[in-house]
Amino acid sequence: MVTTDAGNRDGANAHMLQACLAAVLAAAIFLLGSIESAAQSATQLALRPPAPANTSEPTRASPAPPALEGGGREDAKTLEDSSRTSPDSESTATTQPQLRVERMPIASVELFTIFGRLDGRRAAGQPAPEIPLLSVVRDSLGDDNPENDRLRYLWMLTYTRPTLVKRVLSAVPFLYQHVGNKTPTSSNAPAPLIDLANTKRQTWNNLFWFGLQNGLFDSYGIPLKAASRNYRRNAIDYRAAHVTQALSILSSYDNLRRRARDENELLASRQMSNDPESSVPNGVPIADVRAPLLADFGPGFTPGEMLEMRARLILSSKLLGGLYGPDLFNFTVIKRSMAVTNSIGHNWEMLRQRAETEGLYFQPLTMPDGTATHALLWIAKSDLFQTNRRFGDRFLNISDPWKDQRLRNWTGYSQVRYFDQDNRPTNVSDPQARPLELIPLALYGLDHKNIPGLLIDFRDTLNPKKRELSRRFFRDLAKNVFSLSSFGNLPYFVGRKTFDFVTGRRGMDINQPTRLTSYSELKLMLSFNGTIDPGLRNEIEQRLENVSLNPLTNDNQAEIQLARRQYSALLDFARRPDGLAAKIERDRRAEMTPFKHGSVSRFFFNLGNVLTFGRYVHREQATSELSARLDSARVIRYHTNILVEVAKSSPQTEVAWDIEMVRRSLRALADHGVGASGSAAHAAAMIFRQTNDDEARRLCLDALYKINNKNARSELVRLFRVEQPQSEWRAAIADHLRKAVTEAVP
Amino acid sequence: MPELQIANCKLKNANCCRRCFALRRSATSPEAFVLAILFALSLSITATAQTRRVVAIKVDGLPYELVERFAHERDPLTGKSLLPWFDHIFFQNGTRITNFYVRGMSLSAPSWSLIDTGQHLQIKGNVEFDRATLYSYDYLAAMPFYAKQALGRAVDMPGTEVLDTLGIHPLMDAYDNYERLTSFQLYQRGARLGTWQRAGEERFVKDPKRLATDILVGLDMSDIVYNELERELVEKLSDPRVRYLDLLTMKFDHAAHHNNDRDSHLFALKQLDGLVGRVWTAIQKSAFAGETALVVVSDHGFNTDERVFSQGFNLVKLLGSAGGGGHHVVTKRRLLLDYSIKGVYPFTPLVTTTTQQSYYLKGQSVDYPTALLDFDGNERAGLHLRNNDLNVLHLMLQQLQRQALSPQLNQALKDAFFATLDRARRRWQGDLDQLADELGALHKDIQTQRELWAREPKQFTEAEKEMGKDDQVRRLYARILQLEKFERRYQNDYLAPMKKLLSISPQNFDPFVPKIEEVIPKNAMGLRNSIHDLQNYVVGLGRDGLVLKSDGSLDLERSFPRLNYFDLLQRQTVRNNVQAGVSNHPVDFIATRIPRESITTALTAELQPDDDVVWLYGGADRQALILARAEAAGQLQLRYLPIANLTQDAQGLIRFDVTEWRPDLPLQILEDPRLNAPRTDRVAWLSDWHPDVEWLRALHKTQYSNGLIGLHEQFTIFPAPGIDASERGLSRDGQLLRQFCRRRREAVQTDLLIMANNHWNFDVRGFNPGGNHGSFFRISTHSTLMFAGGESTGIPRGLAVTEPYDSLSVVPTILALTGNLQSDNQPVESLAKRGFLRFPGRVIPEVANNVR
Repeated sequence: MVTTDAGNRDGANAHMLQACLAAVLAAAIFLLGSIESAAQSATQLALRPPAPANTSEPTRASPAPPALEGGGREDAKTLEDSSRTSPDSESTATTQPQLRVERMPIASVELFTIFGRLDGRRAAGQPAPEIPLLSVVRDSLGDDNPENDRLRYLWMLTYTRPTLVKRVLSAVPFLYQHVGNKTPTSSNAPAPLIDLANTKRQTWNNLFWFGLQNGLFDSYGIPLKAASRNYRRNAIDYRAAHVTQALSILSSYDNLRRRARDENELLASRQMSNDPESSVPNGVPIADVRAPLLADFGPGFTPGEMLEMRARLILSSKLLGGLYGPDLFNFTVIKRSMAVTNSIGHNWEMLRQRAETEGLYFQPLTMPDGTATHALLWIAKSDLFQTNRRFGDRFLNISDPWKDQRLRNWTGYSQVRYFDQDNRPTNVSDPQARPLELIPLALYGLDHKNIPGLLIDFRDTLNPKKRELSRRFFRDLAKNVFSLSSFGNLPYFVGRKTFDFVTGRRGMDINQPTRLTSYSELKLMLSFNGTIDPGLRNEIEQRLENVSLNPLTNDNQAEIQLARRQYSALLDFARRPDGLAAKIERDRRAEMTPFKHGSVSRFFFNLGNVLTFGRYVHREQATSELSARLDSARVIRYHTNILVEVAKSSPQTEVAWDIEMVRRSLRALADHGVGASGSAAHAAAMIFRQTNDDEARRLCLDALYKINNKNARSELVRLFRVEQPQSEWRAAIADHLRKAVTEAVP
Repeated sequence: MPELQIANCKLKNANCCRRCFALRRSATSPEAFVLAILFALSLSITATAQTRRVVAIKVDGLPYELVERFAHERDPLTGKSLLPWFDHIFFQNGTRITNFYVRGMSLSAPSWSLIDTGQHLQIKGNVEFDRATLYSYDYLAAMPFYAKQALGRAVDMPGTEVLDTLGIHPLMDAYDNYERLTSFQLYQRGARLGTWQRAGEERFVKDPKRLATDILVGLDMSDIVYNELERELVEKLSDPRVRYLDLLTMKFDHAAHHNNDRDSHLFALKQLDGLVGRVWTAIQKSAFAGETALVVVSDHGFNTDERVFSQGFNLVKLLGSAGGGGHHVVTKRRLLLDYSIKGVYPFTPLVTTTTQQSYYLKGQSVDYPTALLDFDGNERAGLHLRNNDLNVLHLMLQQLQRQALSPQLNQALKDAFFATLDRARRRWQGDLDQLADELGALHKDIQTQRELWAREPKQFTEAEKEMGKDDQVRRLYARILQLEKFERRYQNDYLAPMKKLLSISPQNFDPFVPKIEEVIPKNAMGLRNSIHDLQNYVVGLGRDGLVLKSDGSLDLERSFPRLNYFDLLQRQTVRNNVQAGVSNHPVDFIATRIPRESITTALTAELQPDDDVVWLYGGADRQALILARAEAAGQLQLRYLPIANLTQDAQGLIRFDVTEWRPDLPLQILEDPRLNAPRTDRVAWLSDWHPDVEWLRALHKTQYSNGLIGLHEQFTIFPAPGIDASERGLSRDGQLLRQFCRRRREAVQTDLLIMANNHWNFDVRGFNPGGNHGSFFRISTHSTLMFAGGESTGIPRGLAVTEPYDSLSVVPTILALTGNLQSDNQPVESLAKRGFLRFPGRVIPEVANNVR
């Protein structure tokens, strides 16, 4: 602002001062809040150092879990095994699996790490290196009972706290640029990507930030508003990219595990087969010498845990996602999985058909589980003489290759590939192989809504970036500069909706959903896929970071180093007496709060936690009684989750569930159900109505009597009313109800 | 007995409906008493059925293998089957037909028509085009139907209207309006518009908490109506008058088209399993639990494979290209629907894809499309090409209107024009005269029906509505509207210009009068092409223009380049072939119908068929004929004749070489390891006539399953009352009306049926990478049929029937279960009076034997 008037000048100075103060305040809040905003702090106010963690004692595998945990926690690797693959080791045995899980017992917790074999990083004549990708800690309360286990923190080891420079630059409005890499020097424990046991707190944090942004930062003028919004956007995107990578790894791991199981079943069935037409004689062992895709010593995670991790990661990207319970896990995961498969399939086929129409060559690129996540388009050098050929760029979004003089004099990367008579890719040893020199044109992400997402244009490096930028720029301009909101500005709302509709419907590659997912997966795919020529990989990696709009990101090579370094730091943290085990111990004490405090107190504790950006956490003093209650509460929650699932899944329980499993859970409530929730009572009552099994019905009544809260008694009254008069069951209900009312605590 | 039936009527009033009134009146007379006793006796003789109620869950595209596979897999979370209700109801306590096949194409509209009626195939595609007028029958178009329903211009879905015209009844017609509850489906009678309202209320008003959760997680609108239909079905089970209920779900089909992964399929199947469980539980709680049969039936399988994406091939683009004939192509589905702004409009008219490479009709795509393509079904496409003679005449007229022709060329062209016209006249004149007579009769019929409609009441009591009286009257009105449309289109758009064309003679000929559009009908394909036409199809003017022979006549071969469409389609290849096991040839084979009279001279006495012949073309030396013959007993006999080099000359003479049986013939029968024919002399067995049932037993497990029977079903125009002009006692006008009806059925017969190779599809509306159906591959035709019921139904428990059956068996088996079928497959008298005909399919005795 320029003024010659003194009064105005004073006013302007006051404004300036106010803005500066606001900026300082905002910076302070950012520095305070952004250090640990995704998950609860790793350095919370510890009251007392816990007992030293014992990490040197190798543990045996957990006993087989009950059928509910089907697949079970089979023998996983121990710390001794893990020493074979220290984080700094570059190479591993040639027969190592593509993905494997290591289990490290630490006092009363277990640390699981998924390692990946990076075929794409294999040096000539060397085996592929292996890196740790993702770690999860399971709080098992130090026993063998899987019913009281709880997953806590999940670390995506490529996810790191950004440096201060990166943070500052990420707050600069309209700076859509990758700004170098974080050098992995810190030995601090890495930041977890998510606290799986405390997702509600994350949601309240998100809401708090949302309120802070809209209520405070936005009111201090455009610079602060734009900077804070930009920073938040970049931070959210940075985290989302790693959530995508974590999901991709878990999904690949799950697919490979299923495939390994199917193949084992197939081999078993073939060995058992008496089919005379079978090509494999009976009793002859079938050798499978190729390198396995998955370690054969079991998953480490139960199917339920795998589902929980995936669901929690997916829900963490929704504003209120942390508030949802386990009943939505399956639905959330399958919906996303279906959407991803749908997008990939459609984009795969669209690109193939477009390549066919335009005379190009299509090459899908796959993840370790065989899922095609990306695709390349090539042009044959020998076809370039077709000068009068027309080119339709719809959906491809690259310039006309037939009129491009650069391609005729191409000096960049090209590849000679061989095709058989049916146009299938083959190798040079095929006598009918037909060589073709191909020039790469573009690389697309297939897991992208509507149309394939252009990630790399080999002739125009800025092309994909401009398209990605179009979305971000329009939004930043409208929201951060012009303060246009869809809720408060009807013309803007209509205009934006129309624009979104037209561009989306026509598949125009501007203003499209972000390429974030494809971009993150491409990094993984390049590392995992060993079939990509190193020269081509280099070409892709050089261009890849140009797509990124986010100063917080690191490139692929840096992320590999970060993963190794952070895993090393995590191991150090796990080994320290005041490290991981102590942190989990503190979490348990926080988990004990409901045993001592009512809902009003807990509300204020949570409020304090949110307002201090997670610094304040209320914890109880651990006693043997509270520890026992914690154990009991977890077991009750475990069985409640099962019974809720049973109750809602089928109108007749014993048809859809093994009734013995249901009885076991009901028995658990009947024995220890004091303090169980209303949903447990509701589930028990529903199961009573839905089963004909006398034993299960009796247990339902016992459970309701044991729970004996307001809900349980209401359910008993309801059951009493619907039962036939004079029936034995009515009498039994009345008996239970009478006892419950008599013993009820006022 | 009448008293009993009246008791079943809700109003219990003799005057509540015509039927009750008649029954009450008949019950009062002594003759009626005798009749009633006789009727009761006849019932006890023909059937001892205890199945009082049938509940049918119709599932679109449910492959049997998948159900069986998942039903046998154990869910580690529950300790039970992945599909616990299927396992409980059908695998443990019911009967499943393990080899149940679609008869005909594995395509929804045709297949449901067979399943719903138990009669031979009359509807041959999801979309049918009338060649003469481009009237389109879109059997899947639900939205236009509901809109018309709301406006009172339609009562039934288009497929039901066609079946009504033909005099063929779906199973639901065996029950009175108040006795049935039918869901939204392809062969729907009446629209339950109230269901939409209730569905909306349930979803958006009654449970705000659930709505809020769903909005946050992602609101799934697809379930809204399904859930309401399910609720209504469960409610109706408590109504003792209701004896037939059905519910169609298309969720699995939709999921499998998009996704090929196990998880998606399992998710959709688990939802279906839950539905089956809820319906079964509701049945068990209903009053007739012991006498209720639950049937799960599906219209086709699904060619889906977790390792392969189904690849699309764009036939529209091929036909529009210069090499494909430069056609403007009409489709009923919008290309790349999801990427089109117009695609949001639900009332899609015919869509014309204009080509810039047309040889002689540039810029005239709106008036003169020359190809109609029905790619619905995806693993097959039906193609109509404009009559070749119309093309030639059109081209010649265009050339005659050019000023720059030399006199010699002009004369030669005129001579050629009239030679072509004379030849065409010989073929067309009789047909057009016949059409004129038919339209005359149609006009009178419309007037009669209008008078009839005028006399009908327009206001109805609730009781009349419950009996469906209002629908009957509206049905009449809708039929009048449709007939008027037919009359208008046939008369004005086709007959008039064609008559004018044929009236041109050398004496009155002026190439500029009349205009081309007055003599070449717009938007008409004309009569079906012959084999010769399709092998020598004129697509435009040659590169050198018109060329004269040395004798001064027009050199037709050089002037008008021709395409052989069999060869053209068969040799299509793609360069992007990245999936192992998928051929780079998108087209497997082409099939077409050859009129019996055209081919009889080329066949020996032993091979003479009773019906038209199906020709399969897989290349010059990979061809076959499917011959059909009906024995005196009515048993259909089929024969597969391997041939090569079939051609037809301009005079209509067909020639071909009979070849030996060998591998790689169309349908790949001989080499199939699952062929169930005598091993000692397979070729001899295959080279003989066999009844369709024997072919089914021999072939059903092969890669193409019952394709041989299906192809015959697809290309045969089966007799039906509505097209039988030879019925005794019909007036002349009545005969003409039935001939007109038959004409319309013949007009939808395509020139070519193009079958896709494995894992290929012709869908250009979008992409179906998950999987497709429509072909004769076993994976696409192997479908689901299962029965279960209460103690009194007699349906066996835990039985897996391995004998192969097809769609024709569904209705007779259900009727047998309910005691409505006589031993000779004739419906009982009450159904015969409603218009039900003898059923050609086999009753499944393993299911209904205890009843009959």
